[in-house]
Amino acid sequence: MTALRNIAIVGFAQLPIVARDEHRMATEMLYPAIRRALADCGVERDDIDYQIAGSTDYMDGRPFGFVAALDVMGSWPARQDLHLEMDAAFCAYYAWVRMQAGECDTALVAAHGKLSEGEPNRVLNLQLDPYYHAAIGLDAASTAALQASAYMARTGTTDRRLAEIAARNRTAGARNSDAQVRAPASADELQHTPWLVEPLRSGYVPPVGETATCLILAAEGKAEKFCDRPVWIHGVDHRTEMQTLGARDLSRSASTQLAAQKAFAMADLARAGDVDVVELSAATPAEELILCDALGLDTHADRPVINPSGGPLCGNPIMMTGGIRLGETFRQLAGRAVGREVHGAARGIAHATQGHCLQHNIVWVVGSERRWS
Amino acid sequence: MKRPVAVVGVGQTHHTSRRSDVSIPGLVREAVDRALLDAGLEHKDIDAVIIGKAPDMLEGIAQPEQFLAGALGAHLKPLLRVHTAGSVGASTALTAVTHVASGLYDRVLTVAFEKQSEGNAMWALSPNMPFTPPLVAGAGGFFAPYCRAYITKTKCPPHIGPVTAVNARANGALNEYAHLREPVTLDDVMSSPMLWDPIRFGETCPSSDGAIAMILSSADQAKKGPHKPAWVKSGYSYAEAMWVPGRDQVSPAAGRICAKAVYDKAGITDPWKQIDTAEIYVPFAWFEAMWLENLGFCDVGEGWKIIDRGEQKLGAHLPINPSGGVLCTNPIGASGMIRLGEAALQVMGRAGAHQVEGAKTALGHAYGGGAQYFAMWIVSSEE
Repeated sequence: MTALRNIAIVGFAQLPIVARDEHRMATEMLYPAIRRALADCGVERDDIDYQIAGSTDYMDGRPFGFVAALDVMGSWPARQDLHLEMDAAFCAYYAWVRMQAGECDTALVAAHGKLSEGEPNRVLNLQLDPYYHAAIGLDAASTAALQASAYMARTGTTDRRLAEIAARNRTAGARNSDAQVRAPASADELQHTPWLVEPLRSGYVPPVGETATCLILAAEGKAEKFCDRPVWIHGVDHRTEMQTLGARDLSRSASTQLAAQKAFAMADLARAGDVDVVELSAATPAEELILCDALGLDTHADRPVINPSGGPLCGNPIMMTGGIRLGETFRQLAGRAVGREVHGAARGIAHATQGHCLQHNIVWVVGSERRWS
Repeated sequence: MKRPVAVVGVGQTHHTSRRSDVSIPGLVREAVDRALLDAGLEHKDIDAVIIGKAPDMLEGIAQPEQFLAGALGAHLKPLLRVHTAGSVGASTALTAVTHVASGLYDRVLTVAFEKQSEGNAMWALSPNMPFTPPLVAGAGGFFAPYCRAYITKTKCPPHIGPVTAVNARANGALNEYAHLREPVTLDDVMSSPMLWDPIRFGETCPSSDGAIAMILSSADQAKKGPHKPAWVKSGYSYAEAMWVPGRDQVSPAAGRICAKAVYDKAGITDPWKQIDTAEIYVPFAWFEAMWLENLGFCDVGEGWKIIDRGEQKLGAHLPINPSGGVLCTNPIGASGMIRLGEAALQVMGRAGAHQVEGAKTALGHAYGGGAQYFAMWIVSSEE
């Protein structure tokens, strides 16, 4: 691997995830997130070279939702800009690529979406192949259940195990002031919640939630000025898969496995188990197990700590869920995960996903030390 | 850019109003296969895929790149989906350029499409904004006041729009991929119905089904290809806020800033002299004069005079939209990339019947939103 530029996450802000913010539009939620992230870095908008936003029109319930975001991103005078119809974690990836190309030294990565404006589960039906999948009424809950079934059938994983994983996330979420679900729940309680779509119970999936987020990235030289403890990107890679559910082994995540292999090689990380903290975009306990398998993580080990934030089970604002994983990993390594610190955390993995049944996955390896000298 | 980037393959569909013979994956795949064939490459040679399209409401599929991943040959590859309103085709290609420039990827496939016949563009492009009365007039209704403001400001005479449309259609007749290939007369345009004053039916773009794909490559790989590549000299995308008091909507600052950035990077000090041809985003005829000024080809108020003198025609000083442009072909999300792809074909000397003789340096341009998003590149026949 040739030497790349050392690039760090230097700022992150999010609003607490809520079921519905009655009083604000998406842009009104985004503005304070951006201002907080900039204030955290002690900089103004003019100090940032590049801006990129993540959102999706269908979740906003209108075309061009992102155009309105320009006004709260400080886009005056005109800024170098891009919008991806993707989760914030993928937007951060492109900002990183742009810095590797030497096109900018600093970037603002915004993400927004008012999930409560519609019915996300029904909207997610429209993401599917219109000819064969969407037409039969599959939605996010039913495809996630198909994947959970496939995993349980292959591995013999029990309902109890899913309940335990959900309970562990819920216990962690209680310590996260930005989480939407903050009431802890025991495995017994969760295992007695009703089926949503068998084998997924209502206690195994997150409610609809919304927020706004802003990440700030900076290259070496600027990063140290923006943040007293920059969190350096050691390796990153993302891969997608074909959507066709019947053509994939849903009990495994081939794209996560390949992305992890590439990201670990870039990071010179021998195995996932060597990091201290992992944040996974797992919206069900079965997804968490599938992702751990793909990353090579032992789900029974004490270290690394998985989803100390409570993970998506305690708050799943689509388009921002992955960015929050990256932000939470930053907070852990930068000593800002107040109330939920993983002590001595020096390296971490953040994962984000898009699409049904973990179709597209990105794996980040980050650390307190610079990767390249 | 950390290292040089070249266009080594361009493929597009024969754009038309309704491609009911193919599905969306079929349409996209047609452009991808042609681009790969053009570059002498196969799917296995591609490191990443960058796709763009305009609002998902146009076809009614949310984030369709996920459904299209298989057809794009993106299985187990990186895939990014761009959406920057009308400029998206261009900003998508520029995202691919950055991927190659970074040194992380050697060959990137970039694709843009729209299958307008799957939905209703007028509905999809008439957003119902909070606290704003719905216009329900599509893009034409939105941009008509911009054109009227230009006419008022510059005393642009009433025949400029029709003359621009006639020239576009004459060029489109030469382009085998264009949607509208029948030439029209000044009288045809002048007597066509007024849709959104001052925009007549004959001065507006069609609704098209179409896709375009390009392969961007590093220098080493580019030299191995079957054709002489087009070298990307510079490329930028800029955007500006909408609600800024005093914002010039006719000649937006974002467009001027973006043009200056691409010219500076490409070493262009006098675009009128140094650029041989330009493919610019003109969905309504009046915008051609407006963009000539915004792009610095002339001073404010002089854009329509270039058209009046016919200096923008094929064979004249600065052929504008030799392909016929958006006025002849508008698969919305693909239109920006078609501008960039056509610019590349011109400097490769492979534009076909609408080739500009001896074109060495070309500009590709697109805009979007409320004239807020701009994306452009300069391509050259020289490395």
